[in-house]
Amino acid sequence: MATAAQRRIKSVSYAKYGYIFILPFFIVYCIFSLWPLIQTFVLAFSENGTRTPAIIGLDNFKTILATPAEGDFKALGIHESFWDGIKNTAIIWVGNFVPQIALSLLLAVWFTDLRVKMPGKGFFKVVMYMPNIITAASVAGLFLSLFGDSQYSVINIMFREGEEPWKIITSCWGSRILVMFIQVWMWFGNTMIMLMSGIQGINESLFEAAEIDGANSRQTFWRITFPLLKTIMVYTLLTSMIGGLQMFDIPYMLHTGNVVNDYIKTVAVFVYEMFHGNFAKPSFGYSGAASVILFIITSILGALVFYVQRDKDAIEKKRKQKEAIKEWKRKQKGGGFSI
Amino acid sequence: MNKLKKALALVATLAIASTAFYACGNSSSTADSKAESSAAEESKEDSAEESKEESDEESEDESSEEAAGGENKVAETGDKLSILCWTGDDVEKMIENFTDANDQYKDKVQYVNVGSKGQEAREQYANYFAGGEDADLFVLEADWILDYINNDEYTAPLSDLGFTDSDFDGCYPYTVSIGTDNNGVLKAASWQATPGGYVYRTDLAEELLGAKTPDEMQEFVKDWDTFTATAKKLQEGDKKVALADTLGGMWQVWQYNRTKAWLDGDKLVIDDYCKDYAELAKEYYENGYVTKEDQWSDGWYAIGQDDSTMGYFFCTWCLGAGSMLSNAEGGEGGSTFGKYNITAGPSGWAWGGSWLALSPKCDNGEIAHDFVKYFTVDENTAKDYALFKSEFVNNPKAMKAIVDEGSNKNDLLGGQDQFSVLYEAASAIDMDGKITAYDSQIKDAFNNAVSKYAKGEIASYDDMINEFKKDAAKIEGITVE
Repeated sequence: MATAAQRRIKSVSYAKYGYIFILPFFIVYCIFSLWPLIQTFVLAFSENGTRTPAIIGLDNFKTILATPAEGDFKALGIHESFWDGIKNTAIIWVGNFVPQIALSLLLAVWFTDLRVKMPGKGFFKVVMYMPNIITAASVAGLFLSLFGDSQYSVINIMFREGEEPWKIITSCWGSRILVMFIQVWMWFGNTMIMLMSGIQGINESLFEAAEIDGANSRQTFWRITFPLLKTIMVYTLLTSMIGGLQMFDIPYMLHTGNVVNDYIKTVAVFVYEMFHGNFAKPSFGYSGAASVILFIITSILGALVFYVQRDKDAIEKKRKQKEAIKEWKRKQKGGGFSI
Repeated sequence: MNKLKKALALVATLAIASTAFYACGNSSSTADSKAESSAAEESKEDSAEESKEESDEESEDESSEEAAGGENKVAETGDKLSILCWTGDDVEKMIENFTDANDQYKDKVQYVNVGSKGQEAREQYANYFAGGEDADLFVLEADWILDYINNDEYTAPLSDLGFTDSDFDGCYPYTVSIGTDNNGVLKAASWQATPGGYVYRTDLAEELLGAKTPDEMQEFVKDWDTFTATAKKLQEGDKKVALADTLGGMWQVWQYNRTKAWLDGDKLVIDDYCKDYAELAKEYYENGYVTKEDQWSDGWYAIGQDDSTMGYFFCTWCLGAGSMLSNAEGGEGGSTFGKYNITAGPSGWAWGGSWLALSPKCDNGEIAHDFVKYFTVDENTAKDYALFKSEFVNNPKAMKAIVDEGSNKNDLLGGQDQFSVLYEAASAIDMDGKITAYDSQIKDAFNNAVSKYAKGEIASYDDMINEFKKDAAKIEGITVE
């Protein structure tokens, strides 16, 4: 029989304070993240043209995905701008990711290489990271005045004085390449720092051993750095892919006049325009549906990356282990013989 | 005991968490005006003491009310009249002028500026109202006024302030028809009319066309055929000068040539007008009759100083100090400062405009009434304001008086009186039944397609119309066939 004092001591549990302290986070998370997330899915199945939409089922997905009938301009407009958005997003993302990772990798290797004695490493790292600090709005403004269509933009003053000005911002590939360039310029510093931390995580003795064995830089890179950098590369690929699919700010702002340039209109811009463009009658349904489709595409691509990049050796090892155990068990049970 | 502790802790955490909402609620109405700080707090304050203070003023107001005819149904319980606007330029001057003339209202009028334009402003307004804050009056822009005046949640009839429809007989009819909602109730009144004309370089006109006065110049731009012929003539000379500024500017004028609204019911109307404009825009763009700059870009202003363009299509609010014309001249001391004159141009048009609407939550009936009356109904005070801000006010009689006096001299126009030119144009504007709530979006879609067609990105007119239809069809609420 426990005394009253013992009972009291037993009941003192400090766990609940922990729960109380983390409660604010969960409350804020539920209201500002979880609820909007659920709401997006609900809206994807809801009607358009009202601020208090009712659920209508799969119609929004049908409009966006299915090929519309000839002459149905509404469905045609939405269907085409969504797929144009997907196309633009994919083109711009690939065109930005490949040069970005190549450049970042090269710089990361140079900055971490023991043999490269580069003065002012810290300075360069800061300078290369710098574009990432500038807000996208300023970057868009900067590039508009550098590469604008106007005869008074920097590039046209420098190269096209007295001639027909170059129209980079409104041209199809000009604007796309410009956005790719901006994305590379803004993000290569970030990626570089990430890759550098990955390289620095590799055991130094491996590089030393390679050096002693007479490996040249290329061999060191392809045989040591690159294979051991795989995990961080997968991470970079994944974050960049998710970020790339949601690319919004630069494509949205890189235009003059009232209308966003069609050739760089990404899916995120489409989502934004559908619910934002019409104040009195917003198309929440199409926006929601496009977001959900984008979510599914992201999930599939993410899973694909993990599948391709899975550690085949480890899987093989596990399989063999299992087989060995089975074999051993069979032997034990049957007391049989092996050839 | 434990339960009490639990409850206390929960209350504490909730209190902390709720600060997050507090911050959010406020930031939704990001306002940058100096008046902003007090707007929310003061409206919440108990108004018992103020009503005492104002009781003596009310006696004065009653007389004006009687003159107006109707009965002011709006309570007078608030402290200050607050006016929600999307740009402080106008409202700041209006308040200054209003309080100078009405001493009793000194420090009783303030404005809340959402500081953005177009769609952005439209949304900021929605946020502001959703936040439950009370502006008494608010300024609406021509492009999105219909959203608000057709929604009784946002706007109350002006008759609530004691106005009758006949009070606004002195205004330009087109401003009254825009301020009237679908049920024929007057919801908003404008203090300005915004007719536009063709503003041209006097030195270039004399050198290239031999036109010495605005009247002579008008002969070269009197209608669209002549305008095109003159543009062609300019391109044939050694000095290739565009006659008009940008496609955007041309559109501002051309859209007033429409004979019908963009929508018939909820159906998009595509008529000959669309084809005429598209072909004209293509001709102008390809031949250099307009410059290849974009409206509102830096280049738009730069062409005003380097002989790229003969002139601009500008309206009343483009002609004041610090406005578009001033930018195009390079400001005071700029290379073309004062070298412009205005003439009526090929066809009459107006551009935008702002309306004052009454919030159903208004709690400053007296001041609101006097404020609206001061700027829209009363001929004399409207005239004062016109001279005070060099603004084209919404009162033909007041404008006529100013024109007759000949006292207005605009330095940007080399001393010319722009009112005498625009006075005629304003009366000719007829917008009855020609605007719809979707105009700004339809116009964006149409102009995007036309500009691609003019630049050669879209090969044929039919493709252009297809593109336009697909774009316009995305707007919820209209149908396209």
